Amino acid sequence: MKRFIQWLVAIVICAIICWLFPLFHVVPLKTANAEKAAEKFDATAFAQNFWAGKLLPAAEKAVSTDVLLAAIQSNAAGAKTNYSRSVGLSDTYFYFLRGRGKVVSVSDDAVCIAVTENSTNAEIALQTGLIFGDAIRDGTGLLNASDYPNSQDFNDISAALNQIVETNVLTDLRKQARVGATISFAGCAEVDDESSDLHPLKVIPIETKLE
Amino acid sequence: MNAKALFKKLQPLIALVVMVVALSLLSDKFLALANQRNILLQISVNLCLSIGMTLVILTGGIDLSVGAMLALAGAVAAGLLKNGLALKIFGVVLQFTPFGAMVAGILVGLALGLFNGIAITRFKLPPFVATLGMLSIARGLTMLWTGGFPVTDLGPKFGFIGAGFFLGVPMPIWVSAALVVVFYIVSKNTLLGRYIYAVGGSEKATAFSGINVNRVKLWVYALAGALAAVAGLIVTARLDAADPKAGLGYELDSIAAVVIGGTSLSGGRGSILGTVLGCLIIGVLNNGLFLLDVSPFWQQVVKGFVILVAVAADKLGGDRRE
Repeated sequence: MKRFIQWLVAIVICAIICWLFPLFHVVPLKTANAEKAAEKFDATAFAQNFWAGKLLPAAEKAVSTDVLLAAIQSNAAGAKTNYSRSVGLSDTYFYFLRGRGKVVSVSDDAVCIAVTENSTNAEIALQTGLIFGDAIRDGTGLLNASDYPNSQDFNDISAALNQIVETNVLTDLRKQARVGATISFAGCAEVDDESSDLHPLKVIPIETKLE
Repeated sequence: MNAKALFKKLQPLIALVVMVVALSLLSDKFLALANQRNILLQISVNLCLSIGMTLVILTGGIDLSVGAMLALAGAVAAGLLKNGLALKIFGVVLQFTPFGAMVAGILVGLALGLFNGIAITRFKLPPFVATLGMLSIARGLTMLWTGGFPVTDLGPKFGFIGAGFFLGVPMPIWVSAALVVVFYIVSKNTLLGRYIYAVGGSEKATAFSGINVNRVKLWVYALAGALAAVAGLIVTARLDAADPKAGLGYELDSIAAVVIGGTSLSGGRGSILGTVLGCLIIGVLNNGLFLLDVSPFWQQVVKGFVILVAVAADKLGGDRRE
Protein backbone atom coordinates (compact mmCIF):
# COMPACT_ATOMS: atom_id res chain seq x y z
CA MET A 1 0.00 0.00 0.00
CA LYS A 2 2.86 2.37 0.96
CA ARG A 3 4.60 1.70 -2.36
CA PHE A 4 1.34 2.31 -4.25
CA ILE A 5 0.98 5.71 -2.58
CA GLN A 6 4.62 6.55 -3.39
CA TRP A 7 4.07 5.77 -7.07
CA LEU A 8 0.81 7.69 -7.10
CA VAL A 9 2.48 10.78 -5.61
CA ALA A 10 5.33 10.52 -8.15
CA ILE A 11 2.87 10.26 -11.06
CA VAL A 12 0.83 13.23 -9.79
CA ILE A 13 3.98 15.35 -9.41
CA CYS A 14 5.10 14.42 -12.97
CA ALA A 15 1.63 15.24 -14.31
CA ILE A 16 1.65 18.67 -12.62
CA ILE A 17 5.14 19.42 -14.00
CA CYS A 18 4.08 18.37 -17.50
CA TRP A 19 0.94 20.51 -17.20
CA LEU A 20 2.96 23.54 -16.09
CA PHE A 21 5.78 22.92 -18.58
CA PRO A 22 4.29 21.07 -21.58
CA LEU A 23 6.64 18.61 -23.24
CA PHE A 24 5.19 19.09 -26.72
CA HIS A 25 2.32 20.56 -28.70
CA VAL A 26 0.28 18.51 -31.16
CA VAL A 27 0.17 20.24 -34.55
CA PRO A 28 -1.51 19.00 -37.76
CA LEU A 29 1.07 17.68 -40.22
CA LYS A 30 0.07 20.15 -42.97
CA THR A 31 0.39 23.17 -40.69
CA ALA A 32 3.77 21.98 -39.43
CA ASN A 33 5.08 21.46 -42.97
CA ALA A 34 3.86 24.90 -44.06
CA GLU A 35 5.51 26.54 -41.03
CA LYS A 36 8.75 24.71 -41.74
CA ALA A 37 8.80 25.76 -45.40
CA ALA A 38 8.18 29.39 -44.40
CA GLU A 39 10.99 29.26 -41.83
CA LYS A 40 13.57 27.77 -44.19
CA PHE A 41 16.25 30.21 -45.25
CA ASP A 42 16.56 30.49 -49.02
CA ALA A 43 20.25 31.18 -49.51
CA THR A 44 20.00 31.31 -53.33
CA ALA A 45 17.28 33.98 -53.32
CA PHE A 46 19.12 35.91 -50.62
CA ALA A 47 22.39 35.77 -52.58
CA GLN A 48 20.70 36.94 -55.80
CA ASN A 49 19.12 39.93 -54.04
CA PHE A 50 22.37 40.71 -52.28
CA TRP A 51 24.32 40.43 -55.54
CA ALA A 52 22.14 42.86 -57.47
CA GLY A 53 21.09 45.15 -54.65
CA LYS A 54 24.23 45.53 -52.59
CA LEU A 55 27.33 43.85 -53.99
CA LEU A 56 27.47 45.32 -57.49
CA PRO A 57 26.63 48.87 -56.33
CA ALA A 58 29.31 48.56 -53.62
CA ALA A 59 31.89 47.51 -56.25
CA GLU A 60 31.92 51.08 -57.55
CA LYS A 61 33.32 52.17 -54.20
CA ALA A 62 35.93 49.37 -53.95
CA VAL A 63 39.57 50.35 -53.75
CA SER A 64 41.23 50.88 -57.13
CA THR A 65 43.99 48.50 -58.19
CA ASP A 66 46.26 51.48 -58.95
CA VAL A 67 46.07 52.57 -55.32
CA LEU A 68 46.10 49.08 -53.83
CA LEU A 69 48.99 47.62 -55.84
CA ALA A 70 51.12 50.71 -55.24
CA ALA A 71 50.38 50.44 -51.52
CA ILE A 72 51.22 46.70 -51.46
CA GLN A 73 54.43 47.37 -53.40
CA SER A 74 55.62 50.07 -51.04
CA ASN A 75 54.35 48.67 -47.72
CA ALA A 76 52.34 45.44 -47.69
CA ALA A 77 51.57 45.71 -43.96
CA GLY A 78 50.29 49.27 -44.41
CA ALA A 79 48.13 48.20 -47.37
CA LYS A 80 46.69 45.43 -45.22
CA THR A 81 45.87 47.87 -42.42
CA ASN A 82 44.29 50.46 -44.72
CA TYR A 83 42.42 48.41 -47.29
CA SER A 84 41.84 44.86 -46.09
CA ARG A 85 39.15 43.16 -44.03
CA SER A 86 39.41 40.03 -41.94
CA VAL A 87 36.93 37.94 -39.99
CA GLY A 88 37.39 37.59 -36.23
CA LEU A 89 40.93 36.74 -35.23
CA SER A 90 41.74 35.03 -38.51
CA ASP A 91 45.12 35.75 -40.16
CA THR A 92 43.50 35.46 -43.57
CA TYR A 93 42.40 38.81 -44.98
CA PHE A 94 40.50 40.11 -48.00
CA TYR A 95 40.68 43.01 -50.46
CA PHE A 96 37.62 44.30 -52.27
CA LEU A 97 38.97 45.98 -55.41
CA ARG A 98 38.23 47.18 -58.91
CA GLY A 99 40.49 48.08 -61.82
CA ARG A 100 41.27 48.08 -65.50
CA GLY A 101 44.16 46.53 -67.40
CA LYS A 102 45.42 44.47 -70.30
CA VAL A 103 45.08 40.70 -70.48
CA VAL A 104 48.60 39.24 -70.63
CA SER A 105 47.77 35.54 -70.45
CA VAL A 106 44.79 33.18 -70.37
CA SER A 107 44.80 29.71 -68.88
CA ASP A 108 42.19 27.23 -67.61
CA ASP A 109 42.49 28.58 -64.08
CA ALA A 110 43.12 32.30 -64.50
CA VAL A 111 43.01 35.35 -66.71
CA CYS A 112 46.14 37.34 -65.86
CA ILE A 113 46.12 41.10 -66.19
CA ALA A 114 48.73 43.87 -66.15
CA VAL A 115 47.21 47.00 -64.65
CA THR A 116 50.23 49.30 -64.47
CA GLU A 117 50.78 51.31 -67.62
CA ASN A 118 53.33 49.74 -70.02
CA SER A 119 53.70 46.69 -67.75
CA THR A 120 53.59 43.22 -69.23
CA ASN A 121 53.76 41.42 -65.87
CA ALA A 122 50.73 39.63 -64.50
CA GLU A 123 49.74 41.77 -61.52
CA ILE A 124 46.18 40.51 -61.12
CA ALA A 125 45.02 36.92 -61.71
CA LEU A 126 41.26 36.72 -62.16
CA GLN A 127 40.34 33.21 -60.98
CA THR A 128 38.43 31.24 -63.59
CA GLY A 129 38.86 27.72 -62.19
CA LEU A 130 36.80 26.11 -59.47
CA ILE A 131 35.54 28.82 -57.12
CA PHE A 132 35.40 27.99 -53.42
CA GLY A 133 35.99 29.75 -50.12
CA ASP A 134 34.35 32.80 -48.60
CA ALA A 135 36.11 35.69 -50.36
CA ILE A 136 32.94 37.20 -51.87
CA ARG A 137 30.90 36.83 -48.69
CA ASP A 138 33.58 38.05 -46.28
CA GLY A 139 35.66 40.30 -48.51
CA THR A 140 33.25 43.20 -48.85
CA GLY A 141 32.29 43.75 -45.23
CA LEU A 142 28.64 43.89 -46.29
CA LEU A 143 27.67 40.65 -44.52
CA ASN A 144 28.22 39.91 -40.88
CA ALA A 145 28.29 36.38 -39.43
CA SER A 146 26.66 37.52 -36.18
CA ASP A 147 23.52 38.50 -38.11
CA TYR A 148 22.98 34.81 -38.86
CA PRO A 149 22.31 32.72 -35.75
CA ASN A 150 22.52 29.58 -37.87
CA SER A 151 26.05 29.21 -39.21
CA GLN A 152 24.79 26.81 -41.87
CA ASP A 153 22.72 29.64 -43.41
CA PHE A 154 25.81 31.83 -43.51
CA ASN A 155 27.80 29.05 -45.18
CA ASP A 156 25.00 28.54 -47.70
CA ILE A 157 25.18 32.23 -48.65
CA SER A 158 28.85 31.78 -49.51
CA ALA A 159 28.14 28.75 -51.66
CA ALA A 160 25.28 30.58 -53.42
CA LEU A 161 27.46 33.64 -54.12
CA ASN A 162 30.19 31.42 -55.55
CA GLN A 163 27.57 29.79 -57.75
CA ILE A 164 26.50 33.21 -59.08
CA VAL A 165 30.14 34.02 -59.88
CA GLU A 166 30.34 30.77 -61.80
CA THR A 167 27.18 31.36 -63.85
CA ASN A 168 27.05 35.15 -64.20
CA VAL A 169 30.72 36.03 -64.53
CA LEU A 170 33.02 33.16 -65.36
CA THR A 171 31.04 31.59 -68.19
CA ASP A 172 31.41 34.72 -70.36
CA LEU A 173 34.90 35.55 -69.15
CA ARG A 174 36.25 32.12 -70.10
CA LYS A 175 34.74 32.45 -73.58
CA GLN A 176 35.74 36.03 -74.32
CA ALA A 177 39.11 36.56 -72.63
CA ARG A 178 42.00 36.93 -75.10
CA VAL A 179 45.52 38.18 -74.73
CA GLY A 180 45.85 41.88 -75.51
CA ALA A 181 42.23 42.80 -74.72
CA THR A 182 41.47 45.56 -72.26
CA ILE A 183 39.34 44.47 -69.31
CA SER A 184 37.58 46.28 -66.48
CA PHE A 185 36.84 44.21 -63.42
CA ALA A 186 35.82 44.18 -59.78
CA GLY A 187 36.24 41.38 -57.29
CA CYS A 188 37.51 40.07 -54.00
CA ALA A 189 40.97 38.75 -53.22
CA GLU A 190 41.67 36.37 -50.34
CA VAL A 191 45.20 36.54 -48.96
CA ASP A 192 46.11 33.52 -46.90
CA ASP A 193 49.80 33.26 -47.74
CA GLU A 194 51.35 36.61 -48.71
CA SER A 195 54.25 34.98 -50.53
CA SER A 196 51.98 33.28 -53.04
CA ASP A 197 48.68 35.22 -52.98
CA LEU A 198 49.92 38.79 -53.53
CA HIS A 199 52.08 38.48 -56.66
CA PRO A 200 49.96 38.27 -58.71
CA LEU A 201 46.97 39.19 -56.55
CA LYS A 202 44.42 36.38 -56.96
CA VAL A 203 40.99 37.92 -57.44
CA ILE A 204 37.59 36.24 -57.68
CA PRO A 205 35.71 38.47 -60.13
CA ILE A 206 32.17 39.65 -59.50
CA GLU A 207 32.04 41.85 -62.58
CA THR A 208 34.10 41.95 -65.80
CA LYS A 209 33.82 43.93 -69.00
CA LEU A 210 36.01 43.27 -72.02
CA GLU A 211 36.60 46.15 -74.40
CA MET B 1 43.57 7.44 10.21
CA ASN B 2 47.39 7.32 10.16
CA ALA B 3 49.58 9.84 8.32
CA LYS B 4 50.15 7.51 5.38
CA ALA B 5 46.45 6.90 4.85
CA LEU B 6 45.72 10.61 5.19
CA PHE B 7 48.39 11.41 2.60
CA LYS B 8 46.89 8.79 0.28
CA LYS B 9 43.45 10.34 0.69
CA LEU B 10 44.72 13.85 0.10
CA GLN B 11 46.90 12.93 -2.89
CA PRO B 12 44.55 14.41 -5.54
CA LEU B 13 44.12 17.63 -3.57
CA ILE B 14 47.88 17.97 -3.06
CA ALA B 15 48.45 17.35 -6.79
CA LEU B 16 45.88 20.02 -7.66
CA VAL B 17 47.39 22.59 -5.27
CA VAL B 18 50.90 21.93 -6.61
CA MET B 19 49.65 22.37 -10.19
CA VAL B 20 47.79 25.58 -9.38
CA VAL B 21 50.82 27.09 -7.62
CA ALA B 22 53.19 26.07 -10.42
CA LEU B 23 50.92 27.36 -13.19
CA SER B 24 50.23 30.65 -11.43
CA LEU B 25 53.99 31.19 -11.30
CA LEU B 26 54.53 30.15 -14.92
CA SER B 27 51.63 32.08 -16.48
CA ASP B 28 50.26 35.46 -15.45
CA LYS B 29 46.93 34.66 -17.12
CA PHE B 30 46.25 31.49 -15.13
CA LEU B 31 44.80 33.12 -12.03
CA ALA B 32 42.67 35.60 -13.99
CA LEU B 33 39.00 35.31 -13.02
CA ALA B 34 37.96 34.79 -16.64
CA ASN B 35 40.41 31.89 -16.94
CA GLN B 36 39.23 30.27 -13.70
CA ARG B 37 35.64 30.51 -14.92
CA ASN B 38 36.75 29.05 -18.23
CA ILE B 39 38.31 26.04 -16.47
CA LEU B 40 35.09 25.38 -14.53
CA LEU B 41 33.06 25.74 -17.71
CA GLN B 42 35.30 23.33 -19.56
CA ILE B 43 35.21 20.66 -16.87
CA SER B 44 31.44 20.83 -16.39
CA VAL B 45 30.69 18.34 -19.19
CA ASN B 46 33.37 15.92 -18.00
CA LEU B 47 32.08 16.31 -14.45
CA CYS B 48 28.57 15.20 -15.47
CA LEU B 49 30.01 12.15 -17.21
CA SER B 50 32.46 11.41 -14.42
CA ILE B 51 29.84 11.41 -11.66
CA GLY B 52 28.07 8.57 -13.47
CA MET B 53 31.38 6.89 -14.22
CA THR B 54 32.32 7.08 -10.52
CA LEU B 55 29.16 5.22 -9.55
CA VAL B 56 29.84 2.58 -12.21
CA ILE B 57 33.49 2.13 -11.24
CA LEU B 58 32.55 2.02 -7.55
CA THR B 59 30.54 -1.12 -8.36
CA GLY B 60 33.62 -2.58 -10.04
CA GLY B 61 32.34 -1.95 -13.57
CA ILE B 62 33.24 0.37 -16.40
CA ASP B 63 31.20 2.29 -18.97
CA LEU B 64 32.85 2.92 -22.32
CA SER B 65 29.67 4.18 -23.94
CA VAL B 66 29.18 7.52 -22.14
CA GLY B 67 30.63 9.59 -25.02
CA ALA B 68 28.38 7.90 -27.56
CA MET B 69 25.32 8.17 -25.29
CA LEU B 70 26.13 11.88 -24.88
CA ALA B 71 26.05 12.31 -28.66
CA LEU B 72 22.81 10.36 -29.14
CA ALA B 73 20.95 12.10 -26.32
CA GLY B 74 22.01 15.51 -27.62
CA ALA B 75 21.06 14.59 -31.18
CA VAL B 76 17.65 13.22 -30.17
CA ALA B 77 16.86 16.32 -28.12
CA ALA B 78 18.00 18.62 -30.93
CA GLY B 79 16.15 16.64 -33.59
CA LEU B 80 12.88 16.59 -31.63
CA LEU B 81 13.16 20.30 -30.91
CA LYS B 82 13.99 21.22 -34.47
CA ASN B 83 11.83 18.82 -36.46
CA GLY B 84 9.37 17.43 -33.96
CA LEU B 85 8.11 13.87 -34.15
CA ALA B 86 5.82 13.20 -37.10
CA LEU B 87 3.06 10.67 -36.45
CA LYS B 88 1.92 10.25 -40.04
CA ILE B 89 -0.77 7.71 -39.16
CA PHE B 90 -2.58 10.34 -37.10
CA GLY B 91 -1.65 13.20 -39.44
CA VAL B 92 0.00 15.18 -36.64
CA VAL B 93 3.42 16.31 -35.51
CA LEU B 94 4.51 16.46 -31.88
CA GLN B 95 6.37 19.75 -31.73
CA PHE B 96 8.60 19.49 -28.70
CA THR B 97 9.21 22.40 -26.36
CA PRO B 98 12.84 22.96 -25.22
CA PHE B 99 11.89 21.40 -21.87
CA GLY B 100 10.26 18.43 -23.61
CA ALA B 101 13.29 17.91 -25.85
CA MET B 102 15.58 17.91 -22.81
CA VAL B 103 13.38 15.40 -20.97
CA ALA B 104 13.36 13.20 -24.09
CA GLY B 105 17.16 13.39 -24.31
CA ILE B 106 17.55 12.38 -20.67
CA LEU B 107 15.07 9.51 -21.12
CA VAL B 108 17.11 8.29 -24.09
CA GLY B 109 20.25 8.30 -21.92
CA LEU B 110 18.38 6.50 -19.14
CA ALA B 111 17.11 3.85 -21.57
CA LEU B 112 20.55 3.25 -23.05
CA GLY B 113 22.02 2.98 -19.56
CA LEU B 114 19.32 0.49 -18.60
CA PHE B 115 20.15 -1.50 -21.71
CA ASN B 116 23.78 -1.60 -20.54
CA GLY B 117 22.62 -2.70 -17.10
CA ILE B 118 20.43 -5.47 -18.50
CA ALA B 119 23.23 -6.75 -20.73
CA ILE B 120 25.56 -6.87 -17.73
CA THR B 121 23.20 -8.27 -15.12
CA ARG B 122 20.82 -10.52 -17.10
CA PHE B 123 23.10 -11.70 -19.89
CA LYS B 124 26.22 -11.68 -17.71
CA LEU B 125 28.29 -9.79 -20.27
CA PRO B 126 31.47 -8.21 -18.88
CA PRO B 127 30.86 -4.42 -18.50
CA PHE B 128 33.78 -3.73 -20.85
CA VAL B 129 32.16 -5.73 -23.66
CA ALA B 130 28.56 -4.65 -23.02
CA THR B 131 29.38 -0.94 -22.99
CA LEU B 132 31.76 -1.28 -25.93
CA GLY B 133 28.85 -2.73 -27.88
CA MET B 134 26.64 0.14 -26.71
CA LEU B 135 29.31 2.61 -27.82
CA SER B 136 28.97 1.30 -31.36
CA ILE B 137 25.16 1.05 -31.22
CA ALA B 138 24.74 4.60 -29.91
CA ARG B 139 27.18 6.04 -32.46
CA GLY B 140 25.36 4.25 -35.26
CA LEU B 141 21.95 5.40 -34.01
CA THR B 142 23.24 8.97 -33.79
CA MET B 143 24.36 8.83 -37.41
CA LEU B 144 21.02 7.32 -38.47
CA TRP B 145 19.04 9.95 -36.54
CA THR B 146 21.02 12.91 -37.88
CA GLY B 147 21.95 11.52 -41.30
CA GLY B 148 25.54 12.33 -40.37
CA PHE B 149 24.90 16.09 -40.36
CA PRO B 150 24.81 18.44 -37.37
CA VAL B 151 21.37 19.59 -36.22
CA THR B 152 21.70 23.35 -35.83
CA ASP B 153 19.80 26.50 -34.85
CA LEU B 154 18.13 25.28 -31.68
CA GLY B 155 17.16 28.65 -30.31
CA PRO B 156 18.02 30.63 -27.19
CA LYS B 157 15.63 28.82 -24.82
CA PHE B 158 17.33 25.47 -25.42
CA GLY B 159 20.72 27.18 -25.51
CA PHE B 160 20.25 28.61 -22.02
CA ILE B 161 21.40 25.41 -20.30
CA GLY B 162 24.70 25.54 -22.18
CA ALA B 163 25.34 29.19 -22.93
CA GLY B 164 23.18 31.04 -20.40
CA PHE B 165 24.21 32.67 -17.13
CA PHE B 166 22.61 32.72 -13.69
CA LEU B 167 23.96 35.22 -11.14
CA GLY B 168 26.89 35.82 -13.49
CA VAL B 169 27.90 32.15 -13.48
CA PRO B 170 27.53 30.01 -16.63
CA MET B 171 24.66 27.53 -16.45
CA PRO B 172 26.81 24.41 -17.12
CA ILE B 173 28.69 25.17 -13.89
CA TRP B 174 25.40 25.42 -11.95
CA VAL B 175 24.14 22.16 -13.46
CA SER B 176 27.31 20.21 -12.75
CA ALA B 177 27.58 21.68 -9.23
CA ALA B 178 23.97 20.67 -8.51
CA LEU B 179 24.68 17.14 -9.74
CA VAL B 180 27.78 16.94 -7.53
CA VAL B 181 25.70 17.90 -4.47
CA VAL B 182 22.88 15.48 -5.29
CA PHE B 183 25.14 12.52 -6.03
CA TYR B 184 27.41 13.27 -3.07
CA ILE B 185 24.32 12.95 -0.88
CA VAL B 186 23.17 9.84 -2.77
CA SER B 187 26.54 8.15 -2.37
CA LYS B 188 27.00 9.02 1.30
CA ASN B 189 23.55 9.21 2.83
CA THR B 190 21.25 6.82 0.98
CA LEU B 191 20.77 3.09 0.86
CA LEU B 192 21.62 3.06 -2.83
CA GLY B 193 24.93 4.77 -2.07
CA ARG B 194 25.82 2.21 0.58
CA TYR B 195 24.81 -0.65 -1.70
CA ILE B 196 27.01 0.73 -4.49
CA TYR B 197 30.07 0.69 -2.22
CA ALA B 198 29.09 -2.74 -0.92
CA VAL B 199 28.74 -4.24 -4.41
CA GLY B 200 32.15 -2.85 -5.40
CA GLY B 201 33.75 -4.08 -2.15
CA SER B 202 32.48 -7.64 -2.48
CA GLU B 203 29.67 -8.62 -4.78
CA LYS B 204 29.27 -12.05 -3.21
CA ALA B 205 29.13 -10.78 0.35
CA THR B 206 26.59 -8.14 -0.70
CA ALA B 207 24.41 -10.78 -2.37
CA PHE B 208 24.66 -13.02 0.70
CA SER B 209 23.48 -10.17 2.88
CA GLY B 210 20.24 -10.07 0.91
CA ILE B 211 20.87 -7.08 -1.28
CA ASN B 212 19.70 -7.32 -4.88
CA VAL B 213 23.05 -6.74 -6.59
CA ASN B 214 21.56 -6.77 -10.08
CA ARG B 215 19.08 -4.05 -9.21
CA VAL B 216 21.86 -1.88 -7.80
CA LYS B 217 23.87 -2.33 -10.98
CA LEU B 218 20.85 -1.59 -13.17
CA TRP B 219 20.28 1.67 -11.32
CA VAL B 220 23.95 2.62 -11.55
CA TYR B 221 24.21 2.08 -15.32
CA ALA B 222 20.86 3.82 -15.89
CA LEU B 223 22.05 6.82 -13.85
CA ALA B 224 25.33 6.88 -15.78
CA GLY B 225 23.31 6.98 -19.02
CA ALA B 226 21.07 9.76 -17.74
CA LEU B 227 24.09 11.79 -16.61
CA ALA B 228 25.74 11.28 -19.99
CA ALA B 229 22.53 12.61 -21.53
CA VAL B 230 22.69 15.72 -19.32
CA ALA B 231 26.26 16.23 -20.51
CA GLY B 232 25.00 15.80 -24.08
CA LEU B 233 22.35 18.46 -23.56
CA ILE B 234 24.97 20.89 -22.22
CA VAL B 235 27.31 20.27 -25.16
CA THR B 236 24.46 20.62 -27.67
CA ALA B 237 23.08 23.76 -26.05
CA ARG B 238 26.52 25.34 -25.80
CA LEU B 239 27.26 24.81 -29.48
CA ASP B 240 23.67 25.51 -30.57
CA ALA B 241 24.10 22.34 -32.59
CA ALA B 242 24.05 18.58 -32.09
CA ASP B 243 27.17 17.21 -33.70
CA PRO B 244 26.90 13.48 -34.45
CA LYS B 245 30.61 13.20 -33.64
CA ALA B 246 30.24 14.90 -30.25
CA GLY B 247 31.77 13.16 -27.26
CA LEU B 248 34.40 11.21 -29.17
CA GLY B 249 36.98 10.05 -26.63
CA TYR B 250 35.12 11.64 -23.70
CA GLU B 251 34.87 8.28 -21.96
CA LEU B 252 38.66 8.28 -21.58
CA ASP B 253 38.71 11.74 -19.98
CA SER B 254 35.93 10.64 -17.70
CA ILE B 255 37.66 7.41 -16.62
CA ALA B 256 40.88 9.40 -16.16
CA ALA B 257 39.16 11.94 -13.91
CA VAL B 258 37.62 9.19 -11.78
CA VAL B 259 40.92 7.31 -11.40
CA ILE B 260 42.97 10.44 -10.76
CA GLY B 261 40.39 11.38 -8.15
CA GLY B 262 41.28 8.27 -6.18
CA THR B 263 38.49 5.87 -7.13
CA SER B 264 39.79 2.32 -7.37
CA LEU B 265 39.24 0.58 -10.69
CA SER B 266 38.53 -2.61 -8.77
CA GLY B 267 35.56 -0.92 -7.07
CA GLY B 268 34.45 -0.23 -3.52
CA ARG B 269 36.75 2.74 -2.87
CA GLY B 270 36.45 6.33 -4.02
CA SER B 271 34.17 9.32 -3.78
CA ILE B 272 32.30 11.92 -5.79
CA LEU B 273 34.45 14.67 -4.25
CA GLY B 274 37.57 12.82 -5.39
CA THR B 275 36.14 12.77 -8.90
CA VAL B 276 35.54 16.52 -8.70
CA LEU B 277 39.23 16.89 -7.86
CA GLY B 278 40.13 14.55 -10.72
CA CYS B 279 38.12 16.66 -13.17
CA LEU B 280 39.73 19.82 -11.81
CA ILE B 281 43.20 18.28 -12.20
CA ILE B 282 42.51 17.34 -15.83
CA GLY B 283 40.91 20.75 -16.50
CA VAL B 284 43.79 22.67 -14.91
CA LEU B 285 46.30 20.46 -16.73
CA ASN B 286 44.63 21.09 -20.11
CA ASN B 287 44.32 24.80 -19.43
CA GLY B 288 47.88 25.12 -18.11
CA LEU B 289 49.43 23.28 -21.03
CA PHE B 290 47.43 25.50 -23.40
CA LEU B 291 48.52 28.69 -21.63
CA LEU B 292 52.14 27.50 -21.71
CA ASP B 293 51.75 27.02 -25.47
CA VAL B 294 52.52 23.29 -25.31
CA SER B 295 51.69 21.47 -28.54
CA PRO B 296 48.36 19.60 -28.43
CA PHE B 297 50.24 16.43 -29.33
CA TRP B 298 52.42 16.77 -26.24
CA GLN B 299 49.32 17.57 -24.21
CA GLN B 300 47.99 14.10 -25.07
CA VAL B 301 51.28 12.51 -24.02
CA VAL B 302 51.35 14.38 -20.71
CA LYS B 303 47.73 13.49 -19.95
CA GLY B 304 48.46 9.84 -20.67
CA PHE B 305 51.38 9.86 -18.23
CA VAL B 306 49.28 11.51 -15.52
CA ILE B 307 46.67 8.75 -15.86
CA LEU B 308 49.34 6.06 -15.72
CA VAL B 309 50.88 7.57 -12.60
CA ALA B 310 47.45 7.81 -10.94
CA VAL B 311 46.58 4.19 -11.72
CA ALA B 312 50.03 3.00 -10.66
CA ALA B 313 49.68 4.87 -7.35
CA ASP B 314 46.28 3.25 -6.81
CA LYS B 315 47.60 -0.19 -7.70
CA LEU B 316 50.68 0.10 -5.45
CA GLY B 317 48.48 1.34 -2.60
CA GLY B 318 46.10 -1.56 -3.19
CA ASP B 319 48.92 -4.12 -3.23
CA ARG B 320 50.29 -2.82 0.06
CA ARG B 321 46.85 -3.00 1.61
CA GLU B 322 46.48 -6.59 0.45
